[in-house]
Amino acid sequence: MSSTSQHLLLSPAELAYLHGSLSLITPGPIRPDGRSPTQFRPLTAETGILPGTNGSARICFADGTEAVVGVKAEVEKTPVPPYEFVASTEGRKGHSSAPKKSSRKSKKTTTEDEEISMDVDEDDEEAAGVNEKARVSPDWVELSVEIPGLRDDDSGTVFLTSMLTEALLADGEFVKKLWINRRFHWKLYLDIILISPPLSYPLPLLSLTTHLALLATRLPRLKSEADEDPMFDDDWAAATFLYPRQDTTSAKASNKSPKQPSAAAAAAPASRPPITLLVMAVGDNIIFDPSKEELAVADSAVAVSVAEGPSSETEPESESIPATSTKRNLHLLSVRTIDPPSRLTPPGVPNSVNAAAWGTMTAATPTTTTAATAPANESGAAKHPDARVTETEDVVGVWKAPRGGAKFGMLGAMVAKVLERGGVAEEVLDGLEGVDLT
Amino acid sequence: MADRRRINGPVGATTPPIFDKPAGPAAAKTRDAIRKIFLKTGITPSASGSAYLELENPNPQRPGNTSLKLSCTVHGPRSLPRSAPFSPHIILTTHVKYAPFATRQRRGYLRDSSERDLGVHLETALRGAIIADRWPKSGVDIISQKDDEGWDMMNVLSGCITVASAAIADAGIDCVDTVAGGVAALVCKDDKTAPTIVMDPVVAEHDSILAACCVAYLPTRDEITNMWFKGRLPGADMMVYDKLMEKSLVACRCANRVIVQELNETVKKGQGIS
Amino acid sequence: MAQTIAIPGQLLGPSSKYVAGPGTHIHEANLYSSVLGTVTIAQPEKKIAPGPAKRLTKIAGLPSSSAQLPTISVSRTGISEKREVLPEVGNVVLCRVTRIQPRQATVAILVVGDTVLEAEWQGVIRPQDVRATEKDKVKIYESFRPGDIVRAQVISLGDQASYYLATASNDLGVIMATSEAGNVMYPVSWKEYRDPETGLNENRKVAKPF
Repeated sequence: MSSTSQHLLLSPAELAYLHGSLSLITPGPIRPDGRSPTQFRPLTAETGILPGTNGSARICFADGTEAVVGVKAEVEKTPVPPYEFVASTEGRKGHSSAPKKSSRKSKKTTTEDEEISMDVDEDDEEAAGVNEKARVSPDWVELSVEIPGLRDDDSGTVFLTSMLTEALLADGEFVKKLWINRRFHWKLYLDIILISPPLSYPLPLLSLTTHLALLATRLPRLKSEADEDPMFDDDWAAATFLYPRQDTTSAKASNKSPKQPSAAAAAAPASRPPITLLVMAVGDNIIFDPSKEELAVADSAVAVSVAEGPSSETEPESESIPATSTKRNLHLLSVRTIDPPSRLTPPGVPNSVNAAAWGTMTAATPTTTTAATAPANESGAAKHPDARVTETEDVVGVWKAPRGGAKFGMLGAMVAKVLERGGVAEEVLDGLEGVDLT
Repeated sequence: MADRRRINGPVGATTPPIFDKPAGPAAAKTRDAIRKIFLKTGITPSASGSAYLELENPNPQRPGNTSLKLSCTVHGPRSLPRSAPFSPHIILTTHVKYAPFATRQRRGYLRDSSERDLGVHLETALRGAIIADRWPKSGVDIISQKDDEGWDMMNVLSGCITVASAAIADAGIDCVDTVAGGVAALVCKDDKTAPTIVMDPVVAEHDSILAACCVAYLPTRDEITNMWFKGRLPGADMMVYDKLMEKSLVACRCANRVIVQELNETVKKGQGIS
Repeated sequence: MAQTIAIPGQLLGPSSKYVAGPGTHIHEANLYSSVLGTVTIAQPEKKIAPGPAKRLTKIAGLPSSSAQLPTISVSRTGISEKREVLPEVGNVVLCRVTRIQPRQATVAILVVGDTVLEAEWQGVIRPQDVRATEKDKVKIYESFRPGDIVRAQVISLGDQASYYLATASNDLGVIMATSEAGNVMYPVSWKEYRDPETGLNENRKVAKPF
């Protein structure tokens, strides 16, 4: 069972009320906590909390859910295939049986004088003619999610893991950052831990925490050149950020660390790690960052991953506003529908079929006396085993779990609302920019 | 005794391998059609409902290229285990399995994360289609098994959705519609040419796939129960995304036609016997 | 006779013209099929069972016109012999007693209506549901024994494990019983079965033979 379907104790009447107030058109949806449809819950965030990692972050929502992400990097030898073989399908099982000779690289600030050199044998110089930077592999990133109370191989956890991984890897840009030289690459381990019990669907929390942790991730500066065995600068302060900063944002960081050595990288427009947002629809209203109660009446729910990239000049036909402005250049990376837990909520019984309220359609609920005295009654259509719970039309105020899916237009509108200029994704990214990256 | 320190030539006579050039992409698949689908219900007698799906192999000459084969069984509705809490609905459990011989490298019976991930997608797609409150206190297991190799995740998922939909109808579990799966992808030949959108992409035929989209669709209600998009779209504009979605909906409608036809035949066959 | 085939999601008609029967569902004021099968339309019976006059006055405000409409349903009979059915409230079921305890008798439901179930569902009969009178004097071990075949009625979907059944009626109760000696017994009164060989009586909640 997916982790969306937590036990939620709301009666059908409460569900109907909540659904009614969230699907109001004229004053807009009224949310139980008084937020506007696009407003997020307040959160506190900090980075650099784990000195033993290359980057870390912690985010705490006001409702008490809290997540910690640690990023660790190791140098790994790139397996050289025996012959040129361009892997195209992503479903391929990675047979990266590279001998893990690279030393575990716990890059602590306290152990700066630690000698960081790779004890990798100087052996095969076979693949000379491999095409340069092209060979990157999604195996270079390993992401694990831990949700308390759920098994690691629970399908809900696996779904979260693959959704976050997919967002990172969808455009293939992220793994290129991990390339060191033709023979070596960084292997990045992202460990995402939800500390609190999952009070609401934890996807946005985990995604935002991962985003911050990746922004704060630093890798030791490379000293060696070209295809040599990699040698790294011992000075942690000189380490380069995985996502290089723009000058404006790195001003704060440059107090501590000397100016970014790679001037070219610093000048490049900052790209940002992906964020995944949870969007739900109730009636015709689109609501962001739903709480658990709101998700329980959702007609549909979608997780949308976007990333901010450097403005791409590959699209001259773009009818949108030129990217020269300070506006962000957002890319859609992945979209997944989430099974809304509302489909498992108990339905209400309309008065018209409720025998206790003198309903007329007593077909499904024959009184005890008539049914018992005549088991083989000829008016026994009601007692025929084929008879099901009486199907009724929708009655206002009587909760009925939603059936079917979402309209095409609604799904498109949900994605568009995330991506639009000045939309929610930009707002979230702006908010996260305020976090001090230490 | 042979000299083991050197690499000896073969003992007998050999013929050098001749690599024949495959006869090109045979009858290049038109861009606006999906591959032919073979669908049959009622293949597993012990299950409440079952179906088998096979996709046409677009270029059979190619060595080691096989078609997608999926089988699906539905067990239930049946009573829940004792430990399960009371549920006013049917509890849907979906499994997507690869047969051990279904992949290039043999897989054990241990499920890996991609199978579980597909299982969640399938569950989302089906849960929207079935009428869960018709069957209180009961569970149904839907097991989709991939029997042959060589296809990527999205094509497998769309096949699983289609075959599971037919199996559920065969089992007599109430559904609002016959859900069908479809895939569309944004592909490009090389960096020079503009990317194009194709329905039901054959992964081996395309050099690079920029983005792909898999949709589970209820044609009568015109609703989408599951959507899975990933990849990178040029720019933030929604045009390409919308077109990609539309194309996959067309693929869904095509697959749905196959389901409808097969279900009609199932009923006729049943009437012929009785 | 050629019957109309319906597949899930097929439009059957507006909900203002028909009453939704088994195998159908309502979506946006239209009736759709929800299972694969053949369409049957049952005309309403001419004589709608009139309830007590007192009851009628109470429900006067509620629309009762729906009872006049024909019921449309989709059935799977003939498609497949395998038909999963669930016990429902009001169904008369046949079950076998598996275990007796002072507070309840546990049974396995075997048949619902005329349909033999594929799966076995568990039910319980509580002492207060065994008979309609003198409920407080009921003793479970004087009413059932393991192995008895009981005709009962479903009164509730029950808890997570079991359906709740009742035998509080003349024709509900034990219909087949074996004695301690292992012989099939015959009923001699509303509360006793007799072993034809040993001549001993055993207590049961006996169902009235037809």
